[in-house]
Amino acid sequence: MIDVKHVTKTYGKKQNAFKAIDDISFTVPDGASVAIIGKSGSGKSTLMHAMSGLDKPEQGEIIIDGQNILTLKQKQVDLFRAEKIGFIFQSFYVQANEAVSDNVSLPLEIAGVGYAERKRKIDEALESVELLDKKNSKAKNLSGGQKQRLAVARAIVNQPRIIFADEPTGNLDSVTGEKVEDLLFRYNKANGVTLIIVTHDPDLAAKCDIQIQIKDGKIASTTAPVAAERAA
Amino acid sequence: MKLIDITRRAGRSIRQAKARTLLTSLAIGVGAFTITLALAAGAGGRQYAQDIVSANTNTQELQVSQKQAIDTSKPQEYSTDPTVSYGGRFTVKQLSQHDIDRIAKLADVASVTPSYNLDVQYITRDGQKKYQASVQTFNASIQLNYLAGNGDSLDESHIIIPDSYRQALGFSSAKQAIGQTVHVVVAQGASQTNPPATKTFDFVIAGVTDKNALAISSGNSLYVSEAAAKTLYTYNQEGTRSFGNYMSAIVIAKNGVDATKVKGEIQALGYEAQTAQDLLSTVFQFINVLQGILLGFGVLAVLTSVFGIINTQYISVLERTQQIGLMKALGMRRRDVGRLFKLEAAWIGFLGGAIGAGLAIIAGTLANPWITQTLSLSKGTNLLIFQPLSVAIIIVGLMLVSVGAGILPARKAAKLDPIEALRTE
Repeated sequence: MIDVKHVTKTYGKKQNAFKAIDDISFTVPDGASVAIIGKSGSGKSTLMHAMSGLDKPEQGEIIIDGQNILTLKQKQVDLFRAEKIGFIFQSFYVQANEAVSDNVSLPLEIAGVGYAERKRKIDEALESVELLDKKNSKAKNLSGGQKQRLAVARAIVNQPRIIFADEPTGNLDSVTGEKVEDLLFRYNKANGVTLIIVTHDPDLAAKCDIQIQIKDGKIASTTAPVAAERAA
Repeated sequence: MKLIDITRRAGRSIRQAKARTLLTSLAIGVGAFTITLALAAGAGGRQYAQDIVSANTNTQELQVSQKQAIDTSKPQEYSTDPTVSYGGRFTVKQLSQHDIDRIAKLADVASVTPSYNLDVQYITRDGQKKYQASVQTFNASIQLNYLAGNGDSLDESHIIIPDSYRQALGFSSAKQAIGQTVHVVVAQGASQTNPPATKTFDFVIAGVTDKNALAISSGNSLYVSEAAAKTLYTYNQEGTRSFGNYMSAIVIAKNGVDATKVKGEIQALGYEAQTAQDLLSTVFQFINVLQGILLGFGVLAVLTSVFGIINTQYISVLERTQQIGLMKALGMRRRDVGRLFKLEAAWIGFLGGAIGAGLAIIAGTLANPWITQTLSLSKGTNLLIFQPLSVAIIIVGLMLVSVGAGILPARKAAKLDPIEALRTE
């Protein structure tokens, strides 16, 4: 379960201060799929960065599995990301000059997984995104859809608890985009992994269990239960 | 992240920027090349010097002379001690028979042989021309390269001649020369007539020597036994002012007695004494200075290449900002990101060191026969000696230097903010 409580992130100082997200609270139950919707500059990416421990909001709490990740030390945040989080980005960020298997191997290496186990997990992940036959190709020889599937494999290879997807289909045509969406939702349902998608695509958002609309750093509308209300 | 995985990733990154890596490595390679050659030349030079000294001297042997006045810029006090004057103030004090006897009385001294200054007119044989010759006292510790015969049982009537004299004196072969008689003609120094009175001494050839590159004096010297040398010397010098005075003397320490101990005893008597080891250390000092100069150039080259590494690694960090951002987003720790870049620098250092040292070894191995020939050293002498340990130390040292150079770029990489880094297109 993810509890977001009164999170505020300010950029700039004094007169130039600008609240990217302003007093946001909501709860995401385990295994849910969540769409964070908003225009560019609405603060949806900042919210995702805060929830994944990449960014540190100065106010509020983000409690994941009973632990406030905002009070963790850098080392522990890194460990948290390595063990519990998977990332998918709009621009894939696959390493073009590396083999497909080496791309998938990176999160496992970071988490310190041993060689034999790594091999097994890489094959498993590539199998589930139907890229096992491309295992030894260079990532630059893949098509856009294949690259994003590779990114999905990289995100799921270490069996994370939460997957963050930042505009996962933004750079793909509708057919390949749909295939990637299917992959994500199938994995979400089959493994009970929480899926958090940041998007401005209403069709993709509609496929999620929970929609959170962000506007000017605040929640405009949401189908998520708010932690404070539940407590009361 | 495990060190082995970081090392593998670092190696892969290096391979992906082949040209850049190679060029940066080559800069260090120049340093590695120079340092490797400097160390090889030093090792070879020391080995060569040691070979020469051990071929020409005996570890039990000391060279003894009078303590000389060091400051020659002031007028020297007159002394009745025997001296050789080279005009004006510069005089060399000599050893007298009294000095020789004093040294011979030392308990640890086996023998004292004055170095007889043998002034021979010429050597000849019946029916042949007369040739100038330099005759020296035979010493068993001098290693001669015999073509025929040897100096093992040299007595007063024997002489050892170089092969060049064997030819000049008309012997068809070295073997044929053995047992033949030659005439050595010596002038009487005290003679009042002009030309001076001379006396002919007959010697039987006991050995013919070949040129030995390691021997300092084998080139054209003829050797006679100490007794024969004394006879020649006496005829040559008796009645002159310098008779019985010697520039130096060879002292042999008793077996089992350290030459250094004898040196101390002789010095206590007020003489200068040098052991074979002293001679070697003087030569070594010279070689070390030369090696130091060459090393200095190598270190300078390495220093220059350090800036190349820093530059390359900075570019690498800039180029791979996104990759760094991704790795950090995936939970890679700062320390590990820093290590990744430091290890890449280490790879560059390793490549540079291996290339430079490798080329130096190849070039040196190819050049060795040429150097030996050009300096007309004896066959099999290698003036460049590559020691595996020093090559390994060079490579490891350069890797450490490279890691040092990689610290700043690595720190920059480690400090990157993943959000910012991922935003960079």
